[in-house]
Amino acid sequence: LHPHSVISTGTMRPLLLLLLLATAHGLDTLSYTPVLAGAELGGRVTGSTFVLEQPRCVFQHYNTADIWLVVATAAGEWGDRGMGVYRSSPPSWPTPIPAGSASFNDSAQPGMPEWSFQRFPANTSAYLTLGAMQYHYSCPKPDGELTVLRVGTETSCAGDTSVPNCNGPLPGPGPYRVKFLVLNGSEPIATTKWSEPITLRTAQHPTSGPGMDGGHSGAIITITAILSVLLAVLLAALLATLCGSEVCGAGSFRPDATSIQRYNTHHVYDQPAARL
Amino acid sequence: MAKTDNGIRICQGLLILGNVVIGMCGIALTAECIFFVSDPHGLYPLLEATENDDIYAAAWIGIFVGFALLALSILGIVGVMKSNKTLLLVYIILMLITYAFEMASCITAATHRDYLTPNLFLKQMLERYMNSETESNTDKRMTEGVTRTWNNLMLQNQCCGVQGPSDWQEYTSAFRVTHNDADYPWPHNCCVMDTRGEPINLDGCKLGVSGFYNSNGCYDAISGPLNRQAWGVAWFGFAILCWTFCVLLGTMFYWSRIAY
Repeated sequence: LHPHSVISTGTMRPLLLLLLLATAHGLDTLSYTPVLAGAELGGRVTGSTFVLEQPRCVFQHYNTADIWLVVATAAGEWGDRGMGVYRSSPPSWPTPIPAGSASFNDSAQPGMPEWSFQRFPANTSAYLTLGAMQYHYSCPKPDGELTVLRVGTETSCAGDTSVPNCNGPLPGPGPYRVKFLVLNGSEPIATTKWSEPITLRTAQHPTSGPGMDGGHSGAIITITAILSVLLAVLLAALLATLCGSEVCGAGSFRPDATSIQRYNTHHVYDQPAARL
Repeated sequence: MAKTDNGIRICQGLLILGNVVIGMCGIALTAECIFFVSDPHGLYPLLEATENDDIYAAAWIGIFVGFALLALSILGIVGVMKSNKTLLLVYIILMLITYAFEMASCITAATHRDYLTPNLFLKQMLERYMNSETESNTDKRMTEGVTRTWNNLMLQNQCCGVQGPSDWQEYTSAFRVTHNDADYPWPHNCCVMDTRGEPINLDGCKLGVSGFYNSNGCYDAISGPLNRQAWGVAWFGFAILCWTFCVLLGTMFYWSRIAY
């Protein structure tokens, strides 16, 4: 039985068969859709985690059953992030992947490796995590408290296959779809709707932006221009002042500054010789 | 003649006044530049790592120019009072040299202020903060300086990243190599700390609940002091130089009027 192909072809008889099967299993489909937490949380969606609102006042009638969160791949392209800082080897996936959310079989057994976090998404298209009981999501929602679920927060068990329901960091940017599944042992009792696709953040390289603008700011040009002009004027004034005085030599004639020159004429030297 | 005498007296008085102002401005310039060089905000390692710390070089030049202006102003006052041509000529030439140095300092400070964009600090923070692989000793020293400076900045100014904590999410960084995204969406120094230096609520910080983490960026805390330094050196120096220009012109005029 392939529910995916049934829904896409849209013929009546297989759809009827599916409905009969569902009611035969006693599976309630709740109208609640899991939703991301409010936008005031700065860490609502990060590179490997996302935060959901807790499903308060939804599972009122299921006091003894386990409530699991199903995380599945959604239809769409997958990017190979290859980060693998918390796994021994980075997984690589083909792109695109058919939607795990559409092919998820509600008869899931949380402890089995088929739905374990460690095999996601290479060998399984969905996993179960964040197991809880109804009293964890009691009604009414307490005032002033933040009631959220952070998916991807447990890094210690991410590679540990003995903890298949590890709430480990998500291995790629997604997109993912989640829903809540109420199980009695391994028998599904109720399920919520699938959420909208959730895409995580991808880090980019910082752009080598404008380190220095093409044109300097006007202040620098002003300072440089004015100071250069002033310096030039000062040097010119200095030259004018110095050449206006006796230093350059071609200035005004100052009689008191001349030196007296001695001239030796022949008759001065001849006189003593003549006396002898 | 009495009129010329009065004129000379006025000229002398103005020149002495001009030199007194230059002397005081020299002291002020020295004090201002010593303040900047002492780096009260601890931002020098960031500039050193950009290999573009000419703003500090401009401040160093400013210290010595300030001293020179003070000494030369005293020389000028003595020269004007004694009407000694030699002294005044020496004064003029040394003042011109000092003028040239101060001009260089002003223009350097103003020019290199333009290099300090948010992008520059962002790239430096992403490349160097908590970088565990360094190539040489100087590289290691610069990286440690940047890491230490950022840790202090984030603690003292209650800020995170250059534009905000989203910097750590939007861009790849050396920090991300050693600290995984789930445990450290941003460094723990971005969390609001208690008196012992521990985050008051680590989960709240990781979730990004306001009140448990710092959601504003540190760029204002960096650019504020650096801008004040650059403009302080540049514009104050410019003002001093304009005043010095007038005094020097007056001195040259007075010098040419002195008779032997």
